[in-house]
Amino acid sequence: MLGKRWGRRVKSIAALWAVLAVVGWVVAQVNQSSTPSAKVSVQALPTEQVVQQVDAIILKHLAAQNIRPAGLSSDEEFLRRAYLDITGKIPTAEQAAAFLDSREANKRAQLIEQLLASPDYGRHFADEWVRLLVPRDSQNRLLRTQPLFDWLTEQFNQNRPWSEIVTALLTATGTQQENPAVTYFLANQGLDQITNSVCKLFLGNQLQCAQCHNHPFTNWKQNDYWAFAAFFAKVQRDNTLAAAKQGTSPGVRELPRIALRRNLPESYKALPPKFLGGAQPQLRASEPLRPVLAKWLTAPDNPYFAKATVNRWWAKFFGRGLVNPVDDMHEDNPPVYPELLDLLAQQFVAHQFDLKWLVRTITNTQAYQRSSKPVGEQPADPTLFAQMPVKPMTPAQLFDALAQVVGFNRNLAARKPAIGPKPGFNVREAFIIAFSGDEGADPLDYQAGIPHALRLMNSPMTNADGIVLQDALRRGESPEETLDWLFLGVLSRRPSAQERERFLNYVAQRQYSRAAWSDVFWALINSSEFVLTR
Amino acid sequence: MRDFAPLSRREFCQLTAAGITGLSLSGWLDILALRAAQGQLKHKACILLWMDGGPSHKDTFDLKPGTRYAGEFKPISTSVPGIQISEHFPKLAKLMQHVAILRGMNTGVSDHNRARYYMHTGYREGQGGVIHPSLGSIVSHELGRPEFPLPNFVAISARVLGAGYLGPRHEPLVVLDPNRGVENLRASVADDRFNDRISLLEELEQGFYRTYRTPAAQAHHTMYARAVELMRSKEAKAFDLSQEPASVRQRYGGTRFGDGCLLARRLIEVGVKFVEVGLGGWDTHQNNFPRVRELSAQVDSALSALIEDLHQRGLLDSTLIIWMGEFGRTPHINNRGPQPGRDHWSRAWSTLLIGGGIKGGQVIGKTDAEGATVVERPISALDFLATVCTILGIDYTKQYTTPRGRPIRIVDRGANPIKELL
Repeated sequence: MLGKRWGRRVKSIAALWAVLAVVGWVVAQVNQSSTPSAKVSVQALPTEQVVQQVDAIILKHLAAQNIRPAGLSSDEEFLRRAYLDITGKIPTAEQAAAFLDSREANKRAQLIEQLLASPDYGRHFADEWVRLLVPRDSQNRLLRTQPLFDWLTEQFNQNRPWSEIVTALLTATGTQQENPAVTYFLANQGLDQITNSVCKLFLGNQLQCAQCHNHPFTNWKQNDYWAFAAFFAKVQRDNTLAAAKQGTSPGVRELPRIALRRNLPESYKALPPKFLGGAQPQLRASEPLRPVLAKWLTAPDNPYFAKATVNRWWAKFFGRGLVNPVDDMHEDNPPVYPELLDLLAQQFVAHQFDLKWLVRTITNTQAYQRSSKPVGEQPADPTLFAQMPVKPMTPAQLFDALAQVVGFNRNLAARKPAIGPKPGFNVREAFIIAFSGDEGADPLDYQAGIPHALRLMNSPMTNADGIVLQDALRRGESPEETLDWLFLGVLSRRPSAQERERFLNYVAQRQYSRAAWSDVFWALINSSEFVLTR
Repeated sequence: MRDFAPLSRREFCQLTAAGITGLSLSGWLDILALRAAQGQLKHKACILLWMDGGPSHKDTFDLKPGTRYAGEFKPISTSVPGIQISEHFPKLAKLMQHVAILRGMNTGVSDHNRARYYMHTGYREGQGGVIHPSLGSIVSHELGRPEFPLPNFVAISARVLGAGYLGPRHEPLVVLDPNRGVENLRASVADDRFNDRISLLEELEQGFYRTYRTPAAQAHHTMYARAVELMRSKEAKAFDLSQEPASVRQRYGGTRFGDGCLLARRLIEVGVKFVEVGLGGWDTHQNNFPRVRELSAQVDSALSALIEDLHQRGLLDSTLIIWMGEFGRTPHINNRGPQPGRDHWSRAWSTLLIGGGIKGGQVIGKTDAEGATVVERPISALDFLATVCTILGIDYTKQYTTPRGRPIRIVDRGANPIKELL
C-alpha cells in the first residue's frame, strides 16, 4: 500500500533521488544516535540551556507537522500537577493559596526547587519504584517491602546518583534487615524473573519473549537471553515465605559457583555470561558476577542505561515516553524525537546520573508546563507533547490525597485493615492493592471500576467530617470564604464564578448547615478533577 | 488503543453516536436501561466451588476400598448404578444423574499458589511476564453483558484471582461475608440527600468535562454512573440473603459456605455470569479424616441444595457447576503428626462437573489401585479448562491481545477437551 502511494507521488527521477537522500540522512542520524561512543565525552550544559534545547526540538517537530501546541498552563493546573508529579501529594489549602496569590516572576521554578527539597520527593519516587521492583505475586505475599521503601526514600532524598542506586540493587547481599536493597532479588526469585526485570527496568528492553524463542520483533536470540541471565546464576536467595513463617530476615548471597536451583524454566540453557549486545567478559570461575554486570550496566558508555532511565522519567511526567512502551526500546520502535532522547541521555550522563537534575530539567520545560486544555475539539495525541495529557492519579497518590483531605491520623494509616487482601498489609497498602490495575496498563487509562466508585461514594472514609471541611468552616468568615477554602483544600483552586453561585445557593437553601457543607465536600472528593492530574 | 481499556475510544464513540454528547448521570442511566432492555442474549453461566487446599480424592470421589491406604471412609452407592462415592455425601449421591466425576486429573503442579494460579488460568504463574485472567474474568469477558448493572464476576471467597491483562472491568466483585453482601453498596445518607449530592457532583463534572474533554474524565463518569445504577438496581437485592426463609438457608447447611452457595444461586438467577464460592481447609497434612468428614458434610448440604434449586428453576442446564481444588492428596497416609494426614498430590485426582447441559451420571478417567497414577483418560489442566469453556460456549482457541500487544490464547495449545461430556 505504501509502495503504491509513493509510486504515484514520486513522479520524476529527481524527486526520487531527493527522497533517497533524505532517507539516507535519516538513517545516518539514527545510526549515529545509537552508537554508544557518541555520548562519551559530552560536556555538561547548564540546566537552562538543556531546557531550551528540549523545547526547541519539540517545537521544531510540531511546526513541521503543523501542530499548534497548547498554551502555558494556568497557575492552578501547574500547581497541582507539580505537587503530584514531584511529591505525589496535593498541596494543602494554604500552600495552594500562597502559590496562587504570589506575584513572584519565577515562582514556578521556585516551587520546583521547594518540591525537590521536600522529603515527600523521595517518598514518592520510592513508592513508584517499590511497585516496579517488587511484583505483586503470590510468592511475594509475605515479603516485607517497607525496608526497601525506607531505603529508597533515603537514596532519592539524598540524591544519590542513579548509577549507584542501581549498582546497590544489583549487587546487594546480606539479610533484608542488614541491607534492604536485597529485597529486589528476594522479590524476583526465578532466574527468568530477575533477568526480565533487569532488562525492562534498567535497560529498557523486553527480553522475556527471547526466553523461549528468538524474539519476533527484535534481534535478541534465545542465546542472548540465557547468556545475560547467567550473570544471576550464582545468586542464592532465601525462601521469603519460609523466612516469614520462622520470623527470620530473609537474605541473598552470591556463591563462588553456580547456585543449585530447582524450578528452572524448561527453556533454560547453561551458557557463559555475556553482556546484552556486548562482549563476553573474561572471568575467573569463582568471581562474583553481579558486580561485573553492574559495572557494565551503569557505565557512562552503556548504550541502554541512560536512555532507558530518561525515557522512563519522561514518561512519568508526561504519561507517555519518548519511546512507548517505555521498556520496549529497539530499532523498530524508535523514539518520537530521537535527538531529544539523545540530548537528555547524554546530559544525564554528563550530570553524573543526577535524578534531581533530570526532574528539574523536565519540569522547567515549556512542554511540561503546557496546559492540558485541548487546542482543538479533541485532546491532542499525547505522544507528541503538544499538550499535557490528563493523567489519573496512581493508587498511592489517591490514598495520600484522600488521607490529607479527610485527615487520617497516622495510626489509622498504619493500622491493619479489618478485612483486606492479605494479612500483614496496612490500610495504605491494602488501599493501593485494591485500586491497582494491571501492571502493564497504559498510565493514561482510567483503571478504577465499580467497587472503587462505591468505596469513594459510600465508605465512612469520604463521609466523615473531613479535616479540610473542618478547617474551612473554622477559617471562613463568610460562606464565600468557606467555599474558597474547601475548593483550595480539595481541588487546589478557587471555584469558578458559576460554581460559586451554584454551591453558595445550595448551602444557603439549607441554612448553611453542616450537612449542606459536607455535601459540597463529598461532591468535590468524588469529582473527576479530584482523581485526575490535569 | 488497547483492547480492554475500561472505556476505549471506540466505546466512547459508540456512546456519543448514541446521542450522549453531554454528561449527565441521569441521562446515562436511561441509556443503560435502554440497552439492557434491547438485547437479552441467552448464555450459560458458571458457579465454581473452589476447594482451597486440595481435597483428598481417595476420601471423596475416588475411593479405593480394600487397599492398604484406603483410609477410614466407606463407599456408598448412588442414584447411578455402578458409581460409588464417599459415605459422607449421602444427599449428593441421590443426585448423581446430574454429576460427572473426572477421576483422571493429572496436572503436575503441587505448590498451593502455583497450582491455584494454574487451575484458574491454565498458565504457569509468571510465564511470559504476564498476569493471566482467571476463569471468572474470561467468562465475564466472553459472556458478560456490558450494560448489566452487576459485575459479571462475583467472588464469595477470600482467595480469588483477578482479571490480569483483561483489565478492571472484569475484576471480580469480592464478597467476603455472604451475610454482609457487597461493601459500600448503600449510600450513607438518605436517598434525597444522595440525589442532591449527585446533582452537585454533576455540576463539577460538566464544568471539568467541557474544559478538558478527556477520556479519563469520561471513564470516571461512566464508573460512577454504573455504580449508582448498581446501588439503585433491583438486581442488587440479590445480594441480600435476609430475604431468604430460614428453612432455605438451613437446607444449604447454615454454614458460611452454604450461605455462599445460596448467594451464588440468587446471583445466577438475576443474570450474573460467574460466581466463585470458596471453601478452605482441605490442606489436610494432619488430622485428615475428621476434617474431610466435616468439610464433606458442608459440601454435601450446600451442593445438593444448589443442584436441586437450579434444577427446579430450570437453570441447571444453563448453569455449569464446577467442584475442584488445586490438586489431590497422596495415596499414602503420613504419620508425622499425632493424627494421620495426606500430602499434596497432583498426578492423579478428581473434580466434578454438574449441569450446564453435560451428560451427567458418568465417571470419566480411572486411576490405578492405589489412586496414585491415571491409567485411563488423563486430563491436563488445559484439557479441563478447554472442556469448561466448550460447555459454556466459549471458543477456547480464541486469541487475546495483552495491553502490551502480545497474543495469548484463552487456553494454550495442546488442549484436548473431554468429548464424552458433550
